[in-house]
Amino acid sequence: MVDDFALNRWFCGEVLPLERVLTAFIHRNWRVEADLADLRQEIYERALMGARSGLPQHTRAYLYTIARNHLINRAKRAQIVSIDLVADLERLDDGFDRLSTERVLDARDELRRVQRGLEALPPRCREVVRLRKVEGLSTREVAQRMGIGTDTVEKQMTLGMRALVDFMLGGAGRVRRHDGGACGRKAVRP
Amino acid sequence: MSARDRIEETAAAWLVRQEDPAWTGADQAELQEWLDRSMAHKAAYWRLEHGWRQADRISALGGGVRPAVGPNWSSRPILALAASLIAALALGVVLLVQAGSSTGSAQPDAAVRQAVTPVGGQRRLALADGSRVELNTDTDLRYAIGRERREIWLERGEAFFEVARAPGLPFVVHAGPRTVTVLGTRFSVRREGDRVSVAVLEGRVRVDEDADPAPGRSATLVGGDLAIAQGTSTLLTGNSAERVHDALGWRRGMLIFSQSTLADAVAEFNRYNRVQLIVADPAAAEIRIGGSFHAGNARAFARLLRDAYGLRLKEQDGSILISS
Repeated sequence: MVDDFALNRWFCGEVLPLERVLTAFIHRNWRVEADLADLRQEIYERALMGARSGLPQHTRAYLYTIARNHLINRAKRAQIVSIDLVADLERLDDGFDRLSTERVLDARDELRRVQRGLEALPPRCREVVRLRKVEGLSTREVAQRMGIGTDTVEKQMTLGMRALVDFMLGGAGRVRRHDGGACGRKAVRP
Repeated sequence: MSARDRIEETAAAWLVRQEDPAWTGADQAELQEWLDRSMAHKAAYWRLEHGWRQADRISALGGGVRPAVGPNWSSRPILALAASLIAALALGVVLLVQAGSSTGSAQPDAAVRQAVTPVGGQRRLALADGSRVELNTDTDLRYAIGRERREIWLERGEAFFEVARAPGLPFVVHAGPRTVTVLGTRFSVRREGDRVSVAVLEGRVRVDEDADPAPGRSATLVGGDLAIAQGTSTLLTGNSAERVHDALGWRRGMLIFSQSTLADAVAEFNRYNRVQLIVADPAAAEIRIGGSFHAGNARAFARLLRDAYGLRLKEQDGSILISS
Protein backbone atom coordinates (compact mmCIF):
# COMPACT_ATOMS: atom_id res chain seq x y z
CA MET A 1 0.00 0.00 0.00
CA VAL A 2 1.49 3.33 -1.08
CA ASP A 3 0.97 6.06 1.53
CA ASP A 4 -0.55 9.43 0.66
CA PHE A 5 2.75 11.23 0.88
CA ALA A 6 4.40 9.02 -1.79
CA LEU A 7 1.21 9.03 -3.87
CA ASN A 8 1.11 12.83 -3.80
CA ARG A 9 4.76 13.10 -4.82
CA TRP A 10 4.24 10.74 -7.73
CA PHE A 11 1.05 12.51 -8.84
CA CYS A 12 2.59 16.00 -8.73
CA GLY A 13 6.02 14.97 -10.01
CA GLU A 14 5.10 12.55 -12.81
CA VAL A 15 1.39 12.69 -13.67
CA LEU A 16 0.59 16.42 -13.62
CA PRO A 17 3.48 17.33 -15.97
CA LEU A 18 1.64 15.17 -18.53
CA GLU A 19 -1.58 17.18 -18.24
CA ARG A 20 -1.03 18.98 -21.53
CA VAL A 21 -0.55 15.78 -23.56
CA LEU A 22 -3.39 14.08 -21.71
CA THR A 23 -5.72 16.99 -22.45
CA ALA A 24 -4.68 17.01 -26.12
CA PHE A 25 -5.32 13.26 -26.30
CA ILE A 26 -8.84 13.59 -24.88
CA HIS A 27 -9.50 16.58 -27.13
CA ARG A 28 -8.57 14.66 -30.27
CA ASN A 29 -10.59 11.58 -29.39
CA TRP A 30 -13.70 13.03 -27.79
CA ARG A 31 -15.92 15.45 -29.67
CA VAL A 32 -17.88 16.84 -26.76
CA GLU A 33 -15.65 19.69 -25.57
CA ALA A 34 -17.73 20.24 -22.44
CA ASP A 35 -16.79 16.76 -21.13
CA LEU A 36 -13.07 17.38 -21.27
CA ALA A 37 -12.36 18.48 -17.70
CA ASP A 38 -14.69 15.80 -16.28
CA LEU A 39 -12.97 13.06 -18.26
CA ARG A 40 -9.53 14.26 -17.19
CA GLN A 41 -10.53 14.30 -13.54
CA GLU A 42 -11.97 10.77 -13.84
CA ILE A 43 -8.74 9.58 -15.44
CA TYR A 44 -6.70 11.12 -12.60
CA GLU A 45 -8.94 9.47 -10.05
CA ARG A 46 -8.50 6.06 -11.69
CA ALA A 47 -4.75 6.55 -12.06
CA LEU A 48 -4.46 7.31 -8.33
CA MET A 49 -6.62 4.35 -7.31
CA GLY A 50 -4.49 2.00 -9.39
CA ALA A 51 -1.21 3.43 -8.10
CA ARG A 52 -2.24 2.92 -4.48
CA SER A 53 -1.18 -0.72 -4.57
CA GLY A 54 2.19 0.15 -6.12
CA LEU A 55 3.56 3.10 -8.10
CA PRO A 56 3.90 2.28 -11.82
CA GLN A 57 7.39 2.20 -13.30
CA HIS A 58 6.42 3.94 -16.52
CA THR A 59 3.96 6.66 -15.68
CA ARG A 60 3.50 7.84 -19.26
CA ALA A 61 2.47 4.42 -20.58
CA TYR A 62 0.38 3.77 -17.47
CA LEU A 63 -1.55 7.03 -17.77
CA TYR A 64 -2.08 6.47 -21.50
CA THR A 65 -3.56 3.02 -20.92
CA ILE A 66 -5.91 4.34 -18.26
CA ALA A 67 -6.96 7.30 -20.44
CA ARG A 68 -7.61 5.12 -23.47
CA ASN A 69 -9.58 2.49 -21.54
CA HIS A 70 -11.62 5.14 -19.83
CA LEU A 71 -12.59 6.81 -23.10
CA ILE A 72 -13.54 3.43 -24.56
CA ASN A 73 -15.71 2.61 -21.55
CA ARG A 74 -17.37 6.00 -21.58
CA ALA A 75 -17.97 5.82 -25.34
CA LYS A 76 -19.57 2.41 -25.00
CA ARG A 77 -21.92 3.73 -22.33
CA ALA A 78 -22.77 6.99 -24.08
CA GLN A 79 -25.40 6.64 -26.73
CA ILE A 80 -24.67 9.73 -28.73
CA VAL A 81 -21.05 8.87 -29.44
CA SER A 82 -20.56 6.96 -32.65
CA ILE A 83 -19.26 3.44 -32.61
CA ASP A 84 -16.40 4.54 -34.91
CA LEU A 85 -14.78 6.33 -32.01
CA VAL A 86 -14.58 3.13 -30.01
CA ALA A 87 -13.09 1.32 -33.00
CA ASP A 88 -10.60 4.15 -33.54
CA LEU A 89 -9.57 4.08 -29.93
CA GLU A 90 -9.24 0.33 -29.88
CA ARG A 91 -6.95 0.46 -32.92
CA LEU A 92 -4.94 3.30 -31.46
CA ASP A 93 -2.06 1.83 -29.58
CA ASP A 94 0.92 4.11 -29.84
CA GLY A 95 0.68 5.93 -26.55
CA PHE A 96 1.09 9.64 -25.93
CA ASP A 97 4.51 9.52 -27.54
CA ARG A 98 3.44 10.51 -31.01
CA LEU A 99 2.50 13.85 -29.52
CA SER A 100 5.11 16.49 -28.97
CA THR A 101 7.44 15.60 -26.15
CA GLU A 102 7.10 17.82 -23.12
CA ARG A 103 9.92 20.24 -22.69
CA VAL A 104 11.05 20.50 -19.11
CA LEU A 105 10.44 24.02 -17.89
CA ASP A 106 13.20 25.68 -15.89
CA ALA A 107 12.53 28.13 -13.09
CA ARG A 108 12.57 31.14 -15.38
CA ASP A 109 10.13 29.56 -17.85
CA GLU A 110 7.80 28.75 -15.00
CA LEU A 111 7.98 32.28 -13.67
CA ARG A 112 7.12 33.62 -17.10
CA ARG A 113 4.25 31.15 -17.28
CA VAL A 114 2.79 32.37 -13.97
CA GLN A 115 3.05 35.94 -15.21
CA ARG A 116 1.21 35.14 -18.42
CA GLY A 117 -1.41 33.15 -16.55
CA LEU A 118 -1.97 36.05 -14.21
CA GLU A 119 -2.29 38.50 -17.08
CA ALA A 120 -4.92 36.29 -18.72
CA LEU A 121 -7.27 36.69 -15.72
CA PRO A 122 -10.06 39.27 -15.68
CA PRO A 123 -8.93 42.47 -13.88
CA ARG A 124 -10.61 41.95 -10.53
CA CYS A 125 -9.63 38.28 -10.27
CA ARG A 126 -6.09 39.25 -11.20
CA GLU A 127 -5.86 41.92 -8.52
CA VAL A 128 -7.14 39.53 -5.82
CA VAL A 129 -4.61 36.87 -6.81
CA ARG A 130 -1.81 39.42 -7.12
CA LEU A 131 -2.42 40.82 -3.64
CA ARG A 132 -2.30 37.29 -2.19
CA LYS A 133 0.64 35.97 -4.16
CA VAL A 134 2.86 39.01 -4.52
CA GLU A 135 2.04 41.08 -1.46
CA GLY A 136 1.11 38.13 0.76
CA LEU A 137 -2.12 39.70 2.07
CA SER A 138 -4.74 37.65 3.91
CA THR A 139 -8.34 37.46 2.66
CA ARG A 140 -9.42 40.15 5.11
CA GLU A 141 -6.57 42.45 4.09
CA VAL A 142 -7.35 41.98 0.40
CA ALA A 143 -10.99 42.85 1.12
CA GLN A 144 -9.95 46.02 2.98
CA ARG A 145 -7.50 47.08 0.31
CA MET A 146 -10.01 46.66 -2.51
CA GLY A 147 -13.05 47.85 -0.58
CA ILE A 148 -15.04 44.65 -1.26
CA GLY A 149 -16.46 41.91 1.00
CA THR A 150 -14.45 38.89 2.17
CA ASP A 151 -17.00 36.56 0.51
CA THR A 152 -16.30 38.21 -2.82
CA VAL A 153 -12.56 37.93 -2.24
CA GLU A 154 -12.85 34.20 -1.51
CA LYS A 155 -15.03 33.69 -4.57
CA GLN A 156 -12.63 35.60 -6.83
CA MET A 157 -9.64 33.82 -5.32
CA THR A 158 -11.05 30.34 -6.04
CA LEU A 159 -11.97 31.37 -9.60
CA GLY A 160 -8.54 32.88 -10.14
CA MET A 161 -6.82 29.85 -8.60
CA ARG A 162 -8.64 27.38 -10.84
CA ALA A 163 -7.94 29.34 -14.01
CA LEU A 164 -4.30 30.00 -13.08
CA VAL A 165 -3.61 26.36 -12.21
CA ASP A 166 -5.22 25.32 -15.49
CA PHE A 167 -2.86 27.66 -17.29
CA MET A 168 0.18 26.55 -15.27
CA LEU A 169 -0.50 22.95 -16.31
CA GLY A 170 -0.76 23.81 -19.97
CA GLY A 171 -4.43 24.74 -20.42
CA ALA A 172 -6.06 27.91 -21.69
CA GLY A 173 -6.50 29.39 -18.21
CA ARG A 174 -10.03 30.59 -18.75
CA VAL A 175 -12.20 31.63 -15.87
CA ARG A 176 -15.23 29.35 -15.78
CA ARG A 177 -18.35 30.63 -14.13
CA HIS A 178 -21.70 29.07 -13.56
CA ASP A 179 -23.73 31.78 -11.90
CA GLY A 180 -22.82 34.79 -14.03
CA GLY A 181 -22.01 36.80 -10.91
CA ALA A 182 -19.41 39.33 -9.95
CA CYS A 183 -16.43 38.30 -12.03
CA GLY A 184 -18.02 39.54 -15.21
CA ARG A 185 -16.00 39.32 -18.36
CA LYS A 186 -14.20 36.27 -19.57
CA ALA A 187 -10.54 36.09 -20.34
CA VAL A 188 -9.73 35.43 -23.95
CA ARG A 189 -7.83 32.35 -25.00
CA PRO A 190 -4.16 33.41 -25.29
CA MET B 1 -22.47 22.21 -12.89
CA SER B 2 -20.95 18.72 -12.93
CA ALA B 3 -19.89 16.72 -9.88
CA ARG B 4 -16.29 17.34 -10.92
CA ASP B 5 -16.93 21.08 -10.98
CA ARG B 6 -18.33 21.04 -7.47
CA ILE B 7 -15.40 19.00 -6.17
CA GLU B 8 -12.89 21.34 -7.79
CA GLU B 9 -14.66 24.37 -6.37
CA THR B 10 -14.66 22.85 -2.88
CA ALA B 11 -10.97 21.97 -3.18
CA ALA B 12 -10.16 25.54 -4.23
CA ALA B 13 -12.16 26.95 -1.31
CA TRP B 14 -10.20 24.70 1.09
CA LEU B 15 -6.91 25.97 -0.29
CA VAL B 16 -7.96 29.60 0.04
CA ARG B 17 -9.09 29.09 3.64
CA GLN B 18 -5.97 27.13 4.50
CA GLU B 19 -3.77 30.12 3.68
CA ASP B 20 -5.65 32.35 6.07
CA PRO B 21 -4.25 33.18 9.52
CA ALA B 22 -7.51 32.01 11.12
CA TRP B 23 -6.92 28.40 9.98
CA THR B 24 -6.93 26.03 12.95
CA GLY B 25 -6.07 22.43 13.77
CA ALA B 26 -9.78 21.59 13.77
CA ASP B 27 -10.03 22.97 10.21
CA GLN B 28 -7.04 20.83 9.22
CA ALA B 29 -8.75 17.74 10.64
CA GLU B 30 -11.93 18.59 8.74
CA LEU B 31 -9.98 19.00 5.51
CA GLN B 32 -8.23 15.67 6.10
CA GLU B 33 -11.60 14.02 6.56
CA TRP B 34 -12.87 15.50 3.30
CA LEU B 35 -9.75 14.30 1.47
CA ASP B 36 -10.01 10.81 2.90
CA ARG B 37 -13.59 10.52 1.76
CA SER B 38 -12.75 10.01 -1.94
CA MET B 39 -9.84 9.70 -4.33
CA ALA B 40 -11.60 12.23 -6.57
CA HIS B 41 -11.26 14.78 -3.74
CA LYS B 42 -7.54 14.06 -3.46
CA ALA B 43 -7.00 14.27 -7.21
CA ALA B 44 -8.68 17.69 -7.41
CA TYR B 45 -7.05 19.08 -4.27
CA TRP B 46 -3.55 17.84 -5.07
CA ARG B 47 -3.74 19.18 -8.60
CA LEU B 48 -4.82 22.66 -7.49
CA GLU B 49 -2.36 22.69 -4.61
CA HIS B 50 0.52 21.78 -6.91
CA GLY B 51 -0.30 24.42 -9.52
CA TRP B 52 -1.09 27.09 -6.94
CA ARG B 53 2.23 26.46 -5.21
CA GLN B 54 4.07 26.75 -8.51
CA ALA B 55 2.43 30.11 -8.89
CA ASP B 56 4.14 31.23 -5.66
CA ARG B 57 7.23 31.83 -7.77
CA ILE B 58 5.66 35.11 -8.77
CA SER B 59 6.48 36.47 -5.30
CA ALA B 60 10.14 36.46 -6.40
CA LEU B 61 9.27 39.40 -8.64
CA GLY B 62 8.12 41.47 -5.66
CA GLY B 63 7.05 44.90 -6.87
CA GLY B 64 7.80 43.85 -10.46
CA VAL B 65 4.20 42.81 -11.05
CA ARG B 66 1.93 45.63 -12.10
CA PRO B 67 -1.26 46.04 -10.16
CA ALA B 68 -4.18 45.23 -12.42
CA VAL B 69 -5.41 48.37 -14.13
CA GLY B 70 -9.07 47.97 -14.70
CA PRO B 71 -12.45 49.35 -13.85
CA ASN B 72 -12.75 50.95 -10.45
CA TRP B 73 -14.06 47.98 -8.48
CA SER B 74 -14.66 49.94 -5.35
CA SER B 75 -18.11 51.32 -4.83
CA ARG B 76 -16.73 53.19 -1.83
CA PRO B 77 -13.59 54.92 -3.13
CA ILE B 78 -13.03 57.00 0.00
CA LEU B 79 -13.21 53.99 2.30
CA ALA B 80 -10.91 52.08 -0.05
CA LEU B 81 -8.42 54.93 0.07
CA ALA B 82 -8.57 54.95 3.86
CA ALA B 83 -8.09 51.18 3.89
CA SER B 84 -5.03 51.36 1.68
CA LEU B 85 -3.57 54.14 3.86
CA ILE B 86 -4.03 51.89 6.90
CA ALA B 87 -2.43 49.03 4.97
CA ALA B 88 0.49 51.30 4.05
CA LEU B 89 0.98 52.27 7.70
CA ALA B 90 0.90 48.60 8.72
CA LEU B 91 3.52 47.83 6.09
CA GLY B 92 5.81 50.50 7.55
CA VAL B 93 5.55 48.89 10.96
CA VAL B 94 6.36 45.47 9.56
CA LEU B 95 9.45 46.81 7.81
CA LEU B 96 10.64 48.45 11.03
CA VAL B 97 10.23 45.23 12.97
CA GLN B 98 12.15 43.34 10.32
CA ALA B 99 15.01 45.81 10.29
CA GLY B 100 15.35 45.45 14.04
CA SER B 101 15.23 41.67 14.12
CA SER B 102 18.07 39.17 14.18
CA THR B 103 17.97 38.57 10.44
CA GLY B 104 21.26 40.30 9.62
CA SER B 105 21.94 42.63 6.73
CA ALA B 106 19.68 42.03 3.77
CA GLN B 107 21.42 41.80 0.45
CA PRO B 108 19.77 43.57 -2.43
CA ASP B 109 18.88 40.44 -4.37
CA ALA B 110 16.80 38.74 -1.70
CA ALA B 111 14.41 40.58 0.60
CA VAL B 112 13.70 39.00 3.97
CA ARG B 113 10.14 37.74 4.12
CA GLN B 114 8.18 36.32 7.00
CA ALA B 115 5.72 33.46 7.33
CA VAL B 116 3.81 32.58 10.50
CA THR B 117 1.23 30.01 11.52
CA PRO B 118 -1.19 30.19 14.47
CA VAL B 119 -1.71 27.39 17.01
CA GLY B 120 -3.10 24.42 15.07
CA GLY B 121 -2.25 25.97 11.70
CA GLN B 122 -0.08 24.63 8.92
CA ARG B 123 1.17 26.32 5.79
CA ARG B 124 3.21 25.44 2.73
CA LEU B 125 5.50 27.83 0.93
CA ALA B 126 7.23 27.52 -2.43
CA LEU B 127 10.52 29.40 -2.40
CA ALA B 128 11.92 31.22 -5.40
CA ASP B 129 14.74 28.64 -5.82
CA GLY B 130 12.29 25.75 -6.18
CA SER B 131 12.64 24.57 -2.57
CA ARG B 132 9.55 23.89 -0.47
CA VAL B 133 8.85 24.62 3.17
CA GLU B 134 6.02 23.30 5.31
CA LEU B 135 5.36 25.21 8.52
CA ASN B 136 3.90 23.31 11.45
CA THR B 137 1.70 24.71 14.24
CA ASP B 138 2.62 27.97 16.03
CA THR B 139 5.67 28.74 13.90
CA ASP B 140 7.47 31.96 13.05
CA LEU B 141 9.98 31.83 10.21
CA ARG B 142 11.84 34.39 8.09
CA TYR B 143 13.48 33.65 4.79
CA ALA B 144 15.76 35.27 2.24
CA ILE B 145 16.11 33.30 -0.98
CA GLY B 146 18.04 34.65 -3.95
CA ARG B 147 20.96 34.13 -6.27
CA GLU B 148 23.48 35.14 -3.59
CA ARG B 149 22.16 33.31 -0.59
CA ARG B 150 19.53 30.94 0.70
CA GLU B 151 18.89 31.56 4.39
CA ILE B 152 16.10 30.75 6.83
CA TRP B 153 15.67 31.94 10.40
CA LEU B 154 13.44 29.70 12.50
CA GLU B 155 12.40 32.00 15.33
CA ARG B 156 9.89 29.56 16.84
CA GLY B 157 8.19 26.26 16.05
CA GLU B 158 8.86 23.62 13.43
CA ALA B 159 9.30 23.38 9.68
CA PHE B 160 9.99 20.72 7.07
CA PHE B 161 12.31 21.59 4.19
CA GLU B 162 12.61 20.07 0.75
CA VAL B 163 15.70 21.75 -0.64
CA ALA B 164 16.27 22.13 -4.38
CA ARG B 165 19.84 21.40 -5.44
CA ALA B 166 21.91 24.47 -6.29
CA PRO B 167 25.62 23.70 -6.65
CA GLY B 168 27.79 26.10 -4.68
CA LEU B 169 24.85 27.76 -2.94
CA PRO B 170 24.22 26.17 0.45
CA PHE B 171 20.82 26.32 2.10
CA VAL B 172 21.25 27.50 5.67
CA VAL B 173 18.70 27.24 8.49
CA HIS B 174 19.46 29.26 11.65
CA ALA B 175 17.63 27.89 14.68
CA GLY B 176 18.77 29.84 17.75
CA PRO B 177 22.05 28.35 18.97
CA ARG B 178 22.34 25.92 16.04
CA THR B 179 22.85 26.32 12.30
CA VAL B 180 21.87 23.60 9.83
CA THR B 181 23.59 23.65 6.43
CA VAL B 182 22.58 21.56 3.42
CA LEU B 183 22.97 21.34 -0.34
CA GLY B 184 19.90 19.36 -1.39
CA THR B 185 17.78 17.18 0.87
CA ARG B 186 14.55 16.76 2.83
CA PHE B 187 14.56 17.35 6.57
CA SER B 188 12.77 19.12 9.42
CA VAL B 189 13.93 21.49 12.14
CA ARG B 190 12.02 22.09 15.38
CA ARG B 191 12.90 24.79 17.85
CA GLU B 192 11.69 25.15 21.44
CA GLY B 193 13.79 27.95 22.95
CA ASP B 194 17.39 26.77 22.79
CA ARG B 195 16.48 23.12 22.24
CA VAL B 196 16.75 22.21 18.55
CA SER B 197 15.71 18.88 16.95
CA VAL B 198 16.65 17.91 13.40
CA ALA B 199 15.11 14.91 11.57
CA VAL B 200 16.52 13.96 8.17
CA LEU B 201 14.35 12.09 5.67
CA GLU B 202 16.95 11.88 2.92
CA GLY B 203 20.29 13.45 1.92
CA ARG B 204 22.93 14.87 4.24
CA VAL B 205 22.96 17.90 6.55
CA ARG B 206 25.49 19.47 8.93
CA VAL B 207 24.53 20.85 12.34
CA ASP B 208 26.89 23.48 13.82
CA GLU B 209 26.93 25.05 17.22
CA ASP B 210 26.96 28.83 16.70
CA ALA B 211 28.83 29.63 19.91
CA ASP B 212 31.74 27.36 18.98
CA PRO B 213 31.94 26.75 15.24
CA ALA B 214 35.28 24.93 15.50
CA PRO B 215 35.65 21.84 13.34
CA GLY B 216 34.93 18.69 15.28
CA ARG B 217 32.05 20.40 17.06
CA SER B 218 29.68 19.83 14.17
CA ALA B 219 27.52 16.77 13.62
CA THR B 220 26.71 15.35 10.19
CA LEU B 221 23.35 13.65 9.73
CA VAL B 222 22.19 11.44 6.87
CA GLY B 223 18.73 10.09 5.95
CA GLY B 224 17.07 8.34 8.90
CA ASP B 225 19.08 10.27 11.49
CA LEU B 226 17.61 12.30 14.30
CA ALA B 227 19.55 14.85 16.38
CA ILE B 228 18.52 16.73 19.50
CA ALA B 229 20.78 19.62 20.52
CA GLN B 230 20.64 21.57 23.75
CA GLY B 231 23.30 23.66 25.41
CA THR B 232 26.66 22.29 24.35
CA SER B 233 25.51 18.71 23.77
CA THR B 234 24.12 17.16 20.61
CA LEU B 235 22.48 13.75 20.89
CA LEU B 236 22.45 11.80 17.63
CA THR B 237 20.27 8.75 16.97
CA GLY B 238 21.22 6.94 13.77
CA ASN B 239 19.29 4.41 11.69
CA SER B 240 15.92 5.40 13.05
CA ALA B 241 13.98 5.80 9.79
CA GLU B 242 10.81 4.82 11.64
CA ARG B 243 11.26 7.50 14.28
CA VAL B 244 11.97 10.09 11.58
CA HIS B 245 8.76 9.00 9.85
CA ASP B 246 6.84 9.33 13.13
CA ALA B 247 8.38 12.73 13.85
CA LEU B 248 7.13 13.96 10.49
CA GLY B 249 3.56 12.68 10.98
CA TRP B 250 2.36 16.29 11.48
CA ARG B 251 2.78 16.88 7.75
CA ARG B 252 -0.25 14.62 7.26
CA GLY B 253 -2.06 16.16 10.24
CA MET B 254 -1.15 13.19 12.44
CA LEU B 255 0.66 12.70 15.73
CA ILE B 256 2.35 9.32 15.95
CA PHE B 257 3.46 7.85 19.28
CA SER B 258 5.21 4.63 20.09
CA GLN B 259 5.86 3.95 23.76
CA SER B 260 5.64 7.66 24.63
CA THR B 261 4.64 8.67 28.14
CA LEU B 262 1.23 10.30 28.46
CA ALA B 263 3.01 13.46 29.65
CA ASP B 264 4.96 13.68 26.37
CA ALA B 265 1.92 12.84 24.23
CA VAL B 266 -0.16 15.52 25.97
CA ALA B 267 2.62 18.09 25.46
CA GLU B 268 2.51 17.29 21.72
CA PHE B 269 -1.29 17.73 21.56
CA ASN B 270 -1.04 21.03 23.38
CA ARG B 271 1.14 22.44 20.60
CA TYR B 272 -1.76 22.08 18.17
CA ASN B 273 -4.83 22.97 20.20
CA ARG B 274 -6.25 25.87 22.15
CA VAL B 275 -7.98 23.35 24.39
CA GLN B 276 -5.10 22.37 26.68
CA LEU B 277 -4.79 18.92 28.21
CA ILE B 278 -3.41 18.78 31.75
CA VAL B 279 -2.30 15.55 33.41
CA ALA B 280 -3.24 15.96 37.04
CA ASP B 281 -1.31 13.12 38.71
CA PRO B 282 2.15 11.56 38.26
CA ALA B 283 0.85 7.98 37.97
CA ALA B 284 -1.25 8.89 34.92
CA ALA B 285 1.63 10.88 33.42
CA GLU B 286 3.75 7.72 33.27
CA ILE B 287 1.24 5.65 31.26
CA ARG B 288 2.73 4.55 27.91
CA ILE B 289 0.81 5.52 24.77
CA GLY B 290 1.09 4.21 21.21
CA GLY B 291 -0.80 4.84 17.99
CA SER B 292 -1.57 7.65 15.56
CA PHE B 293 -4.05 10.44 16.19
CA HIS B 294 -5.44 13.51 14.42
CA ALA B 295 -3.38 16.38 15.83
CA GLY B 296 -6.26 18.85 15.83
CA ASN B 297 -8.65 16.77 17.91
CA ALA B 298 -7.52 16.87 21.54
CA ARG B 299 -11.04 16.08 22.79
CA ALA B 300 -11.17 12.80 20.88
CA PHE B 301 -7.79 11.85 22.31
CA ALA B 302 -9.00 12.64 25.84
CA ARG B 303 -12.15 10.55 25.34
CA LEU B 304 -9.98 7.68 24.15
CA LEU B 305 -7.95 7.91 27.35
CA ARG B 306 -11.15 7.70 29.35
CA ASP B 307 -12.53 4.75 27.38
CA ALA B 308 -9.32 2.75 26.94
CA TYR B 309 -7.45 3.50 30.16
CA GLY B 310 -10.29 4.33 32.53
CA LEU B 311 -8.87 7.80 33.22
CA ARG B 312 -11.14 10.54 34.54
CA LEU B 313 -11.76 13.75 32.60
CA LYS B 314 -12.82 17.11 33.97
CA GLU B 315 -13.30 20.23 31.87
CA GLN B 316 -12.60 23.68 33.30
CA ASP B 317 -11.69 27.06 31.79
CA GLY B 318 -10.87 25.69 28.33
CA SER B 319 -8.69 22.90 29.74
CA ILE B 320 -9.27 19.21 30.21
CA LEU B 321 -7.90 17.73 33.44
CA ILE B 322 -6.88 14.07 33.16
CA SER B 323 -6.47 11.97 36.30
CA SER B 324 -6.45 8.30 37.28
